[in-house]
Amino acid sequence: MIDALRYEIVRLRTIRSTYWLIGIALALQLAISTLIAWAIPSSGPQSGGDRSFALLATIGGAAGFPLFIAYVLGLLGVFSMGHEYRHGMIRATLTALRSRVAVLAAKTIVTTVVSAAVAFTCALLALVIALPFGIEMPTIGGFREVTLGMVIYTALFALSGMAFAAIMRNQTAAVALILLLPSVIEEVAKGVFVIIRAVSDEPVDQGGMAAVLKFLPYDAGSQMYTQFSIDDLLEVFGVTSFGAVGGGLVMGGFVAILLAASTALFLKRDA
Amino acid sequence: MSLIEATGLGKSYGSTRAVDGLSFTVRPGSVTGFLGPNGSGKSTTMRLMLGLDHGEGRTTFDGRRFTELEHPMRHVGALLEAKPFHPTRRARDHLRMLAAANGISRDRVDEVLALVGLEAVAGGRPRKFSLGMGQRLGIAAALLGDPHTLLLDEPSNGLDPQGITWLRTLLKHLAGEGRSVFVSSHLLQEMAVLADELVVIGRGRLVANGAVADFLAASGLGTVELTSPDLAIMAPVLEERGGTIIGTGESVTVTGLDAATVGDVAHELGARLHQLVTRQASLEEAFLSATGDDEEFRGITE
Repeated sequence: MIDALRYEIVRLRTIRSTYWLIGIALALQLAISTLIAWAIPSSGPQSGGDRSFALLATIGGAAGFPLFIAYVLGLLGVFSMGHEYRHGMIRATLTALRSRVAVLAAKTIVTTVVSAAVAFTCALLALVIALPFGIEMPTIGGFREVTLGMVIYTALFALSGMAFAAIMRNQTAAVALILLLPSVIEEVAKGVFVIIRAVSDEPVDQGGMAAVLKFLPYDAGSQMYTQFSIDDLLEVFGVTSFGAVGGGLVMGGFVAILLAASTALFLKRDA
Repeated sequence: MSLIEATGLGKSYGSTRAVDGLSFTVRPGSVTGFLGPNGSGKSTTMRLMLGLDHGEGRTTFDGRRFTELEHPMRHVGALLEAKPFHPTRRARDHLRMLAAANGISRDRVDEVLALVGLEAVAGGRPRKFSLGMGQRLGIAAALLGDPHTLLLDEPSNGLDPQGITWLRTLLKHLAGEGRSVFVSSHLLQEMAVLADELVVIGRGRLVANGAVADFLAASGLGTVELTSPDLAIMAPVLEERGGTIIGTGESVTVTGLDAATVGDVAHELGARLHQLVTRQASLEEAFLSATGDDEEFRGITE
């Protein structure tokens, strides 16, 4: 296992995409956080420290926008398996490491640690950016809650990317899936639901689609860091969200299923 | 020293039987050539041997399966792909990554880069490499762990004549050190001067496994060049004993009989012999004869 971890760490360190993906995540954080920080003081006295920090750290994710750094680091997860198949590396990897389980476990650990570390750095960056703009600092509880949420969400997002690449053995398809599933497919599902409910005789019924909708994995997971969102409108139509812990468990369960499926296929398939 | 024993290897893709009950042995201290027509299952066999593909049978390296070897690159070096590396990872980094997985020192990385002649481009990115340079990097990876066994799938692909000569010398040297070298190639002339032993397959089944000389002799394609002023008295007897005489005059070619039999006939008849030379079949002739019906993909010539 240690050998597989060494291999994966050197693999990640010696490839350019690692650096430009992390660089893009941090640059996005810096640029958009700065813009938000610039806008916050003029947006009224309602911005408490926790709320402002949530907006800065998630660069709008706390207000219902996508968590951009998760998408960027999701690609890191896709590439961890995608490169193996796209560039024919998988056979070289499996002749260097005898255990397929160790290969996958090492990729899972390294992807989790790196994506979580970058997400945590982004949260710290938000704090630093808040200072020169005189924005009120968050409470420890507020900092912990938002940071933990975005770190866990980002790590799960990256792991889902890795699992998609392992299942599909096609990097391009996995990239498309990791970008489209949370941002388009889940949003379309919610949009269709709202339209149907708006013209329905029972718009606030909590059964049927409303019960299913709260299991959309990325949407559920986003509750770990979302504090106020346009999605709250869904509650009008009977969707009661799981909250941070429940939403995290839904997304965690989804990613666990993906990882289990990818492991089973990785062990069963020819290299 | 490493004895490779493959037993009952088998693999199907749907209804196609790619490898069928293949068993053979590769002995240490020799270069064993792995021959077969395109699509005969050579690459699949090599992947089965390393546990990369799932199938039937087992392959052991000194009694242990590949998946039982700790730090496998220290035991078995393999080259299976034409360009098995990320195009933007530097050549040296590619080897360092493999070395990290097998407890191999960084010094060894530089050693093998020098051995394959890639020192000057060690910091270069392989996307700019020619096929031959890519092969050299793949060979460097196979040699990285200083393994006692080498499995190389078409290692001379893309190499220039100098590169092929270098590779031949290297592989013979490695075999001379007591290692087992198992190498597939479609270059029969190259294999004829490189291999000591052969594993020949056709349509996934074993055709021959043994010394090159035995394979050539078993082909029955050897001929005897005969020059004699008394051919007129020898010819009927040679034909009686199963020989076929090609040509006319005093110098002819005899097929179907070996030189000893022809010499015995001359002695019995008191015939004079001016020349009696055995001409062995070429590896190409023997290979085509052995696998002619097993060709998977056959073109037309007109």
